[in-house]
Order: sequence, then structure tokens, then C-alpha cells
Amino acid sequence: MLYLPVGVVFVEAVVDDGAATLSFFRAVLTDPFYVGVLADVFAEPLAVRTHLESLGGWLGAISVSVSLESPLPGVSLPVPWLALEIPPIRKGLFGFTAYQAALSTVASVALGLPAAYVLANYEFRGRRTLRSLTILPFVLPGIMVAVGFYAMFGRTGTLNQGLGILGLGPIPFIEWNPLAIVIVAHAFYNAPLVARVTVAAWESVDARSVETARSLGASPRRAFRDVVVPQLLPAVLTGALLTFIFTFMTFPIVLALGGLQLATVEVWIYDRVRRLAYSEAATLAVLETLLSLALTYAYLRYESAQSGLARAATAPSRTPLFPDLRTALSPRRLAIVGYGLVALVVFVGPLASLVVGSVTDGSGFTLAHYAFLLERQLEGASYQTLPWIAIRNSLLFGVATLAVAVPMGVVVSVVTVRAGRGGTIVDTLAMLPLAVSGVVFGLGLLQGLVFGVSLPGGWRFQVTGGVAIVAAHAVAAYPFVTRNVSPLLSTLDPALVESARALGASRYRALRDVELPLVASGIVAGAAFAFAISIGEFSSTVLLASGSQTYTMPVAVERYLGRRSGPAIAMGTVLLVVTAASFVVVDRVGGRFEQ
Amino acid sequence: MTELRLEDVSKVYGADGTGTSALEDVDITVRDGEFFTLVGPSGCGKTTTLRTIAGFEAPTDGAIRFDGRGVAGVPPERRDVGVVFQSYALFPHMTVAENVGYGLRFREPPDGKTVDDRVTELLELVDLEGMGDRDPDQLSGGQRQRVALARALAPAPDLLLLDEPMSALDAQLRESLRRQVTRIQSELGITTVYVTHDQAEALAISDRLAVMHDGRVEQVGRPQEIYREPATRFVAEFVGDNNVFEGDARGRNGEYPQVAIDGETFSLAAIPDGTDRVTFCVRPGALSQAADHNRLPVTVETSEFLGETVRVNGRWNGRRIVLQLPDVPESDELTVGFAPDDAHVIDRD
Repeated sequence: MLYLPVGVVFVEAVVDDGAATLSFFRAVLTDPFYVGVLADVFAEPLAVRTHLESLGGWLGAISVSVSLESPLPGVSLPVPWLALEIPPIRKGLFGFTAYQAALSTVASVALGLPAAYVLANYEFRGRRTLRSLTILPFVLPGIMVAVGFYAMFGRTGTLNQGLGILGLGPIPFIEWNPLAIVIVAHAFYNAPLVARVTVAAWESVDARSVETARSLGASPRRAFRDVVVPQLLPAVLTGALLTFIFTFMTFPIVLALGGLQLATVEVWIYDRVRRLAYSEAATLAVLETLLSLALTYAYLRYESAQSGLARAATAPSRTPLFPDLRTALSPRRLAIVGYGLVALVVFVGPLASLVVGSVTDGSGFTLAHYAFLLERQLEGASYQTLPWIAIRNSLLFGVATLAVAVPMGVVVSVVTVRAGRGGTIVDTLAMLPLAVSGVVFGLGLLQGLVFGVSLPGGWRFQVTGGVAIVAAHAVAAYPFVTRNVSPLLSTLDPALVESARALGASRYRALRDVELPLVASGIVAGAAFAFAISIGEFSSTVLLASGSQTYTMPVAVERYLGRRSGPAIAMGTVLLVVTAASFVVVDRVGGRFEQ
Repeated sequence: MTELRLEDVSKVYGADGTGTSALEDVDITVRDGEFFTLVGPSGCGKTTTLRTIAGFEAPTDGAIRFDGRGVAGVPPERRDVGVVFQSYALFPHMTVAENVGYGLRFREPPDGKTVDDRVTELLELVDLEGMGDRDPDQLSGGQRQRVALARALAPAPDLLLLDEPMSALDAQLRESLRRQVTRIQSELGITTVYVTHDQAEALAISDRLAVMHDGRVEQVGRPQEIYREPATRFVAEFVGDNNVFEGDARGRNGEYPQVAIDGETFSLAAIPDGTDRVTFCVRPGALSQAADHNRLPVTVETSEFLGETVRVNGRWNGRRIVLQLPDVPESDELTVGFAPDDAHVIDRD
């Protein structure tokens, strides 16, 4: 299910008129449009001297200057501006993709680490809730978040409305610096991830080891540097590496906020497919997949090298965040409050703006956007994008994805946990979907299954777009089931099953009576994720649904966004409501199931 | 009830018998109603032995018989054994009563009792009346251990297998539970195999025990035999404190055969005919300052006050010597001796 579509893409990239060829790769690798300055290197790999000379010339042209600038157009607020004059370098498509991924990683780490610090070291109401909420952005539909940022930073967005009250603006944030908005949107996604892995590492630092360092003469600061930091660093790097991988493969956010002007490799592949340039798309897809696989491999190697981290014997204690007014006004607490405000703007802002934007226009409260959706549903022609069909498809695909992904994820879990050494290989292979982007996978499914594959004997294997979409969603979703079930399964004391067996239960009965009830919470959580992933999946769906009636809510959002932002924002809000509702429903069902 | 026989049981891990050997020709008979202990250091094969009896692992070679009938190929659920693990392995999603009653889903309660009656009876047996509705995580370690015991006993198994059930408990609790386990065992008269690494516990609790080492049984016997007449050097050193000496036979001097060590000769009660190299052991309690025979000067290194006695570690000719004295010695040098009858000659390696 996974390897066939990816294989089809590979074949497409190296076969021209039935003969194997590498000409597509040569064309891409030597085109400065794709690989920037490296094109010369790929074209003439042996001319090392020339390449070194041009590198030296470039390094010599770097200069640093400080000046006063007013960064906000229309606002005369001079700030000292440290300018690093770097001579322009042609990054090319791949270079730009890596560049924005690197900037996004820096932003995510910068935004995530303070959150980790607060969550790991302070006690306050809602800390646990907040800690578990860090998983949420990960399953929020990307296109919805993009529309949320649009609703916040757009010309008529909530930020400009707020500035308007102060008599400022409007400031065209998105048009002015779309890259910055894209990077903030990426941080919205990935900073919680960085925070999450870092908090986990922080909480597993044995408080006794810090106390030991103190008793041996280290100051608190020194003990932090010598004992805590080395244990946090692997987690921070893990988070950063994952962030880089995810943002390297970013798609809906860039598509919605930047468009072709900011094209990353994914967006360009999508554009090539829309223009029916399949060979070029496949070649780019293969190169991108190879790069992301290499990164994922590096990540897995790194993760396994770090897995020797000890569990905490004694968890570090947390101090109350605001015990009294005096402490609340200390510089450190004020800094935390300041960070909290920034986090509020970045994380709550877009979602709140989405809801607010759906019921307002430039002048005040309105239901016009929803009225448009209703009207479109009632009077729209069949070739137009109808809201109810999108909702119905999303729910249908979601349920079908559950039916496929949950058993698949549980089976993979059982195999990996029970198989010992062979299990790690299965585990790695099973986690590969995380490293293959949705667009690449969708492209493979489109060419492989929807267009049909010839089988020996004159048969043809062909599926409809709907089936292909469910397949794509299931492949994207089952790792989340596995990730939720495996930890529970692996910490299960084998003696539990053996006790049941000794008491007379068959292997199957022991599975039913003991193992499944004990991992039920993981299965339910995995199912919730699988459903949310399916509801929000955009990358492969948008390719597979093109020109058919199988569009889903995220696809509908994108189609509306192309024409008018109001209905798109309203549709995004519907998507938000359905996603939230599905989480609540699964949560309730799960609560009963756990009984 | 049931007699358990292990006949030349071997267990080799890895493909086609080339891997590491966990058990080698283990040959044990546990008599009907006996409390039998497998004791040895970690990795000696005692737990593997227990797991082959329970059916969780199949022996590579040899046979296991319950009352004469072989159980090869019989899955654990059809062996009628009750197992208590070190971790207790209570089902966390079931109440105490559900845990105890779990085995009764598959086997009828004995004597035509109802399931509820049987569960109540078992909870009384382990002094946990009225705790049936609790969840396992509301119990203390000792209580969990007793629930695990009640659960294993509820279906009235033929054999009770206990795998280090006390090792997670503190010393005092361990002793009181130990008494409770032996009381219940003798009340029910159930054939029991108990695994422990604690040799003192093994001596205190067992009718008979097997000392295991490197996958082999070193010696089987009653606690007194094992303690007083260790068959091998390993048993002599593993069970209790001991002083083991090795020397050359030097014929007789009057009444006693002589053994020479580093030029000193010692008189023993008897050594087997035809032995040149003699290994013998003397318990610390048998070395006394008042003894007339076999005197050796000992340099005291450390003294441990144990209450009734003092354990003194010292050296004689560079060899480690352990003494058990009534009080802390006043001088660093003292001379002790032992009676020829107090030396036990070890006749196997």
C-alpha cells in the first residue's frame, strides 16, 4: 500500500518512452532554477578549482553594517538594524526549500524552548492540559491553520482590525513579507513539538543528580549547565531535526500563504502535476524523497543512539508560577508573562481569528460568509465545490480510514514489540510514511492506482479516487496508531500474559482479557489521531480529488481561498468545528470503552 | 496430589542447539506435597527451570512429568499449575476479586463451590477478607503479593510455582509473608516449587532444596544436609559463610589422616581412600580459640557485630578466613583451631 505508489513514482522518474534514462535527473540537477549555484557543480563535478574560487569570491564579499531603519512601513519607529550584507546567492528551488526549513527550525526552537522551560519547571493551573495540548497543532489541518493565519494577518484580518482601532494600518503583512508569515505558521506547528520532546527530557532528569552536583560544589547555574543541559540537548536536537524534516516537506501552508511566489519543492511538484508535467514532477518527487529519507535516517540513527537515557528516579520538583504578587513582579516572572503573550498571539491568534473572521467583514458582524456557503450548497452547480459534499466526504473518508488504519497500526505494533531485533527493522519501515510527503504519495497513487497499472494477462488494476484517498489517509494515519499503542504494549509485563495462561486462558483469551483492555486507551487515542489526520489531510487529497466529486473540507477551503477569502475562512471554521467535535466524540467513546 | 519429575532436562537457546546453554541435564524429583526450593545466583537457570515446568519454555532435551505423565507439548493453560511472579503481575484493570476469580473462568471451582464462595475463601486464606472490591494499585506490596498467591491457588492447581515472590519486599515483611506462605502450603499440602537467590531463605523455608550453578544442579538435599555436608566447593561457598581449604594428603599421624597446606599439617576425621588432593571446609562457628587441634594464627582485618555473635574477617597465610566469635576480638592477632570432626571433606569438584 505504501511502497507501490512510491515505486510508481520512481519508475516514472527514470523511464522515458519505455527505456530507462537518467536524463530527467541530469536536467533537474544542472538547472539553476532547481538547485541554484550547485547546478554548476553538478554539471561539472570535477572542476573543483573553479568552484572553490567562486566560493572564495562569495565569502570575500560578505560585510556587516549597523544602521537605523524603520522596519514597519508607514510607522516611523527607528530601530538599530544590524545588517549582514551577503551577496545574493542563487539558492534554487531546493536551496530555498532548505533555507525556509532552516529558518522555520530556528523559529520553532526559539518559540518552543521557553515553553518547555515553563512547563517543566513551574506548577500552575492547567499545566497538564497545556502539556497535552502540545500534541494538538500536529493534527490540526494545515490548510486550516494557513487560513487562520490569513484571517489574522490578511489585509482585512483581525490584526489590521485591531490596528485600525488604534488608527494605524492597514499593513499588508502577507504581501509585505510572506516568508515571515510562513515561518511563523511553521513555528505554530513545530514549536509545540520541540517543547514536547524537551519537556519529556527535562522531566526525566533525575533531581537527585542535580542535588549531587550541588553537594559537590556546583552553583545552581553550573549544575544546570553540567547536568541538565547535556540531558536536554539530544531532545532539542531531535525536535529541531524533526522540525526541519517536516518543514522541508511543507505544502498547504506555503501553497495558501505564499503560492508559487514562495514555491517549495512540494508546491512546485503540485504545480507540475496540475500542468500534467508528470515526468518532471516524478523526478522532483524522487529527489525530494531521497533527501527526506536521508534526513529521517539521520534522525532515526540519532534517536537510537540517544535511547540509553535513564528514566528519572526522582522527578524534578516544580515551583508555583505565581505564588504571590511580589514574586509575580520579579524579572523572571515578567519575562514568562511576556513570552506567554507572544505564545498567545502565535498559537491562539490564528484560530481565534479564524472564528472571528468567519463572522466579520471589514465593517462588523456578518453572517454573509456562511450564507454564501449555504447558498452555494442549495443553488450551486454540480461542477462547483459544494460544502455539504466536502463535509460528507471528509467524514466518510475519516471513518473508512479508521477501519483500515487502526487494525493496521495495532498489527504493526504487535509485530514490532514482539519481534525483538527484527522488530526495529519493521518499526523503521513502518514509520517511513512520515518521511514520504503527502504530495509524493498522492502522485504515486494517482499514477499507479487511479490511472491504473497493467497486470500480466491483460488485467488492469485500477481504483477510484475515493479508494485511493482512503489508502493515502490510512498510510498517513496508521503510524499514529502504532506510536500510541506500542509504548503501552512494550511496557506490559510479560508475566501478565503468562499469569493468565497459567490460570487457564488460551493465547487468544489472554490477548482479549489482558492485553487489549490494557492498551485500549492507546488504541482509542490512536484512532482519534487517525481520524483527525484523515479529516485534515490535504497534500495527497488535493491531487487525487482534482476534477472529481471526492473533494474534502481542506480541499474545499483551498478552492474557496483561490477566489474569496471570506467563504474560505467560514469553511475553515466548519473544519475546525468538525475536527474538534470528532475529538470530543472519540474521547467520549474512549471513556466508555476503557470501562 | 502431584509428584514432579525433571528427567535430564536441558535447555539451549539459539538455533539448532548451538546457542548458549541455560540448563544442562537437570534431574530433580519433587515429592508429593513437598516444599522444594531452587536456589542459586542470578543466571544459574533456576527461573528457566521454573518456566519449563510451567510450560512457558520448552526444554531442548529431557522430559518433565507430572505424576508420571509427560507434559511435553501441553500449553501452560492446560497444565494446572499456579504461578506467582516476582512482579506479581496482577491485572491492573481488574479488581482484587476479579483477579482472584480469573482462573475460575476456565476451571470449575473445587468441591462444587460457587466462584464467589471460592474467591471469598481464598481471600480469607491470605488474610485479605473484604478487600475484593479494591483495585490492585490501592494495595501495598505485601498485599499484592498475597492477592497473586490467592489468584494462583483459586483453581486448586496441582502444582504451585513461586518465582522470587518476596524479593521486592523489605526484610521484615518478607519474613512474615514467608511464614504465611509455608503455613498455607502445608495446610493445603500442595506440591510447591520456590525459586530464590537468597540461600538463607532457601534453608529456612524448604523441605528440600536444589542448589543450582551455571545451569546445573550442584546438590539436592534437606537444608541440614546442604549446610553441613556440601557436595561441591560451590555449594560450600554459596550456602552460608564457610572456610574452604585445599591441601595434599600426607598419610596418617596416629588417629587422624593428615593434610598439608603450605607446610602446615591438619588432622581430619576421615578422607576417602586414594585421594591425593583434598578439599575440605570448616564453618566459622567451628573455629574457636579454645580448640586443641589444627591451630592457625589469624590476622584480624574487620569485625562485624551481628548481635548474638561477631563475624570476624581475617587472613591466615594470605588466605581469607571467616570466624564467628562471641565478642569483638581485643587483639589484631589471634590463634584459632578446629576439631577434626568439624571439617567436612568435599568429594566432588
